[in-house]
Order: sequence, then structure tokens, then C-alpha cells
Amino acid sequence: MNTMHWICRSCLSRAIRPLFKLRVRWQTTASATESVPPALLARARAVADEHKQLAEKLANGFDTRAAKKLGGYGAIVSALEEWDKANESLAELTSLIHDPTSDPELRELAADDLGATRTSLAKASQNLTTSLVPIHPFAHLPCLMEIRPGAGGSEAAIFAGDLVRMYQAYCNRHNYRSTLLKYENINGTSEAGVPLSEAVLEVNSASAYGVFRCEAGVHRVQRVPATESKGRTHTSAASVLVLPSLEENTSLENDFEDPESDYYIDVNEVKVEVMRAKGAGGQHVNTTDSAVRLTHIPTNTVVSMQDSRSQPKNKEKAWQLLRSRLAQARREKREEEMVALRRSVLGVAKTGRGDKVRTYNWGQQRVTDHRSGATVHDLDDVMDGGQTLDTVMEGVRRWLMEKDVEALIAEEASKK
Amino acid sequence: MPRLAIALLRHAYTIDPLLPLLLRPCRTLAAAQNELRWLREHVDKLVQARRPVNRKLQQQPKALLRRLAVERASGKPLQYILGTEFFGELELRCQPGVLIPRPETAASVTHLSHLIQNAPALPSELRVLDLCTGTGCIPLLFDHDFSSARSDRRLQLLGVDISDKAIGLAHRNLARVRRWKASAGRGDVDFILADVLSNPFGDQTLDPPCLKAALNFNKKPYFWDIVIANPPYISPSAYWSTTTRSVRGFEPKLALVPPPRPGNNDTEQADYFYPRLLTAARDAEAKIVLLEVADLDQAMRVATMARRIAIFDGIEIWRDQPDQRNESAVGISAEFPVRGQGNARSVLCWRGLGATWLGRGRATKTSRTTRA
Repeated sequence: MNTMHWICRSCLSRAIRPLFKLRVRWQTTASATESVPPALLARARAVADEHKQLAEKLANGFDTRAAKKLGGYGAIVSALEEWDKANESLAELTSLIHDPTSDPELRELAADDLGATRTSLAKASQNLTTSLVPIHPFAHLPCLMEIRPGAGGSEAAIFAGDLVRMYQAYCNRHNYRSTLLKYENINGTSEAGVPLSEAVLEVNSASAYGVFRCEAGVHRVQRVPATESKGRTHTSAASVLVLPSLEENTSLENDFEDPESDYYIDVNEVKVEVMRAKGAGGQHVNTTDSAVRLTHIPTNTVVSMQDSRSQPKNKEKAWQLLRSRLAQARREKREEEMVALRRSVLGVAKTGRGDKVRTYNWGQQRVTDHRSGATVHDLDDVMDGGQTLDTVMEGVRRWLMEKDVEALIAEEASKK
Repeated sequence: MPRLAIALLRHAYTIDPLLPLLLRPCRTLAAAQNELRWLREHVDKLVQARRPVNRKLQQQPKALLRRLAVERASGKPLQYILGTEFFGELELRCQPGVLIPRPETAASVTHLSHLIQNAPALPSELRVLDLCTGTGCIPLLFDHDFSSARSDRRLQLLGVDISDKAIGLAHRNLARVRRWKASAGRGDVDFILADVLSNPFGDQTLDPPCLKAALNFNKKPYFWDIVIANPPYISPSAYWSTTTRSVRGFEPKLALVPPPRPGNNDTEQADYFYPRLLTAARDAEAKIVLLEVADLDQAMRVATMARRIAIFDGIEIWRDQPDQRNESAVGISAEFPVRGQGNARSVLCWRGLGATWLGRGRATKTSRTTRA
């Protein structure tokens, strides 16, 4: 009776595979580790050292740039201190427990404390990692959201209108000042109720860009459209473009002292060269050479001026010229950045259904964000801009931060 | 001096027929073009002047420009042709017989005034004495720079020179600066004739009198807070080797080379003024002394002299641009700190309150320890 029954191949392979697939998203699963990666720790220590130096420098004299830098480092330094403290107390507790000479009662107390200390250490290391992540340079700015229908015809246009209402409701709930700069339906009028062709929503509160940054991308909808007569489910898409609104700081253009201004130049970064006579100089020569040359070291911009016979006048003119040249370069760079940002958010060919960041499925009453992998089932609350939308957006922001942490670790590791 | 290339002269001629003339003193095309532009601006101004000096010539601007270019080609300094030179922010008259103010002097004076204008414990009246003043440039510039930053302190400034011509020109420059609307200077400025070198205890000649007698005669105070001097400091051999032809041919030797004395060698003659200036500074109880010198060697000699009279708390050497960051320490002894970029240009000494005015509290201690 050694003969075996014949079993079909698919049944055999089914037996080998586990009956329930382990539903784990490896890439996006958050890992709340107790330990901070050594590369990040080294960076934090370097920042703390620099913080100390800057503080000393500021004690002697005020410097706007240093002060700004110092403010940015404050969070990292305090997080590092907290982490050090937690680490130290954990080491003390474990040594107390493992020490055979210590009092048994004390050992018990230490064991009780150990759990709390462990969690506080985990929290501290989490704080440290997130504080190290550089804040997006435009995160503090207000933002513009441009919403346009993508693939899917008038159903996509209807969904785009739904998205606009969703974001307006969200802004209302969070007390963000939002204004509809442009609302154009497919008839070319601004009448509501007709499918949308383009809408621009301005969120005029500080740090709005940091909040809505994660919304940029293609949003996919799966539902039976109102225009469908046979009851088939369609898949359509709408694109959301989020841009920081930079107009605010261009009004301060002519303020030389303000570091935010385009015209600001740090005096220490400029090398001033005065054409001096070759040889002995002084009473030995009576040269008329009054040329002045300024070199902006970080950008290697050189300006030389010899129009006037007076050296101070030449210097003044050269500074003026250098200021306007650098301002021009900065403006161009900023515009380039904006163009790059636009392209990275939304390429011309990237508005299809496949490149989605989020799916709204009416049939299953489900919203899934494809970046964070989070799925929620209260679709109506999401479309009303309710708390469920908060959780989705928060998940995406966390995912962005984890991405940043990974990039930071990779960068630190490649430095060595 | 290497010869000018024929190609360069031809190229210059195609740009402007007057350029080859100006290439002779300037040697480079860019400098010649600048000078031609300034000459042209000057001629334009003369032609438009309401009271022409030479009516016939000024009706022919081209001929006038050509004459000025020929004059310049002979080596005459452009400053004498145009009649003015910029010294810091001031535009001062200059004329043959008086030394043209140099930009290096302006840099030192401006830097000194910058250091002092932020000082906490300044007296209500600050007195500045300038020896060998020439066009009067140093007191006028110090007055302008200091007063534009600090209006709550009175200034008394006195320029001293041995030359009649210089004193006359200095007075005219004072009037010119006071007429100039943008000038901030409001100090009490005066210029007197005196011989810094003549010994007050020797035989007195009243023409010109010695410094003490001149101060007494003009009812000026004996005591001064700051003493600045740009004396003649070129040795006879350097006069023939390192000065440019336009300096030798057109500027007064009196303002460049100290007078010879029997028994003095070359360097002793070059340094002839400094002991007298330091003695004058001691007699005036100066808190700060700024003396211009020719090069690093002379700066070291003067600094050593200043240390030998043992009244100063600190001595340092400034380069051409003392406001710039220090150059790499090449050929610098640790004896005296050297600041700025370029050639060594002046020696700064201070004592007592001068250290706090200059913000050199710590430097005082180190120089004391080196002396001990």
C-alpha cells in the first residue's frame, strides 16, 4: 500500500504555500526601532557640536544667518539630549539588574522601571530621527492647488469638482483661509454643478504647503458615473498640482539687510580687491588706477568697476552691480526650481489612471493611498473633508518622512 | 621699462589717435583708455564753464584735449592736469609743488576713524594733529569720516607743514570741502606753518618756526589725542630706483626724501623724520600715533624706535588695506602684529586710553609680556 494517490499539481503547490497570505507591505511598514542608525547619530553629534560653536559666536555678536541656523538646530540638539538621557538611564537600570550584589527589592523596582524606560527610549529615538529630517524649504509657505480632470472624460471632470469641494471642506474644518482663484467648468463659465475643467484653490495660511504637499499627484476614482446608462463601473482620474506660493517675499526686493531678500549679500562672502600699484606703492607712485573688483565667493561672480577716479564711488557702483546680478541669478534659479517642481509633480504624459497616488472606490466605499498603503472605508467622510481624510493625509506625510529618513541614511552612509 | 609694442600702439591708434600718447605714461591700454575718458570729461567741463580761463583755447576743445594729452605724455601726473584727486570720499585740489594724496593713506585714515568712531570712552573733544599735511587731506578726511558717524563729539584738527604752498592749498581745500554739500565734516580744522625737524632747544630760526613755537604762536593746545603723519620717507637710493618717472619729474622732492645730514647713510636719511615725530607725539601726550612708512623693513625699524622710547602699550603694523582680512603670514616676525593686505604701509602705536578707543584690550597685554 505504498502507492500514492495522484494529486494534481496545483493542489500540491497549494499545500506547500501557506493557506493565508501574510498581508505585509514591506516597503512602507513603519519600523519603530529603539536604536538610531549610527550614521544618523554621527550626524546628530556633528550638529550638536556646530550648535555649540554657533551659540558661542552669537554670544559675541549678532549675525542673522547664524541665528537662523541656530534656531533650525535647536530641535535636533534637544532631541539628542533626551535620547542620551534615556539611553543612560536604561544602561543604569540594566547594570543594576544584572549586578548580583544589589538588593533584591531594588532589583524588582528596577525591573518595573525598565519597561517605561524602554518605551521612552523608543520615543526619544523616534523624535531624534524625525528631527534630523530636513524640513522642506518651502514647507512654511502658503500654497496653490490646481485641480484638473485627467483621463476619463466628463466623469473625470465631475470627480475633479468633487475633489475641489473636498479640499474646501477640509480647509474650512481646519480654519485655513482658502480662496478659489479660478473655477472654470467645461462650458468655459464659472457656474457650479457643471463638470469642472480647471480650478485653482489658494490656501493662504502659513505652512499650508507643508500640509498639502502630500496631495499632489493623480487621484483615481472607481465608480458608476452619473452619466453611465448601463451601470458599468468606470475608472477615471483627476490631477492635483500643489505649488508653494512665493509671491510674498518678492515685495521686499530692495531691502539689502534682510537675508530673505534677493538683494541680500553676506559681506563676509565677498572678496574686495583694490587694484594696487605694483612694487612699492605709497609715495613712490602716483597711479590713477582706482579700479575695484568684487568676487562673490560662493557663486564665483566677479564684478570690476573703474569708471570713476574715486575708489569709494567705484566700490559703491560695484556693490550695486553685484547685488543686481546675484538677485537676477537667484530669481532665475527660483523660476527654474518652480518649473522643475511642476514637471516632477505632473509630467505631460503622467496623468493616466496607472500613475495614481490614491484611489477612491465607490463600490467598496474605500479610499486607498498607494504610497502609504493605508486603506480607510469611510468614503463619505473623506469626500466631506472629515477626520478620515486627516488620517489618510497624515499617513502620507509619515511615509514622506520615512522616505526622507531613508534618503538621509543613504546619504550619510555614502559620505563615509 | 619694456618698450611698447608697435602692434599695441597701432591698435590704440585705431581706437583713438590720442591713445598712443597716453600709452607712454600708462603702459596698458585699459589704463590709457580710462585716462583719456577722464581727460575728455575734464575738457567738456572746461568748455561749459561759465568763466573760461583761456577763452581762445576753450573754444577749440579738440586742440585743448590734444594739448592735455601731450602734457600727460611728458609724464605730468593726471592729478596735476585735472587739478583734483579723490582722497577717500573727498575730492581735493592738488597743484604742482604739493604732493598728490595717495589712496593708501586714505585707506589707513579711514580705517583708523572706523576703529575709533565706535569707541566707548571718547573725550568730549577729540584733538587730531597731522604733521607734514601737504594738501591737508588727512585732517579733512578724518573730519569727514568721523563726523559722519559720530556727531556727539567735537573735533579739533590741525595740519602742520613746512611748505607755504602746501599750507595755502590746504586752506583752499578746507574751503572747498566746506562748500561741498555732502560733506559731513564740522570739526574745527586749521593749518599752520612749522618745521617739524628743527630742534626747539637749538638756534631758533623764525622762518619757519619749530613746532612748539608755532603752536604757541598760533594759540594752539600743546596736547593732542591722536598724532598722524605722512612724512617724507624715501631714501635717496630708492628715490632713483623705485619711484616712477612722473613722481621724480613732477612732484616735490621736499615731500618725498628727507633732507640729507652729514654722517647719515641711506637708511638713516630715510628714517630721519621718525624720531622727531615720535618725540613730538610724546610731548603732545598722544594716545594714538599713526605713521606712514615705505615698506616692511622701515615699518620694523620705526616700530623698534617706538618701542625704545617705552611709552606705548602696543605697536602694530598696517598694510595697504588694513580693513581686509590678514594675508598669509609671509616674512612676518612675531614681534609686531601685521594687519591687512598689501605692502606694509603704516605703524600704529597706542597707550593708555588709546587701547580702549581702538578696541585693543588684549593686544596690550601680549605686547607687554613680549617686552618683559
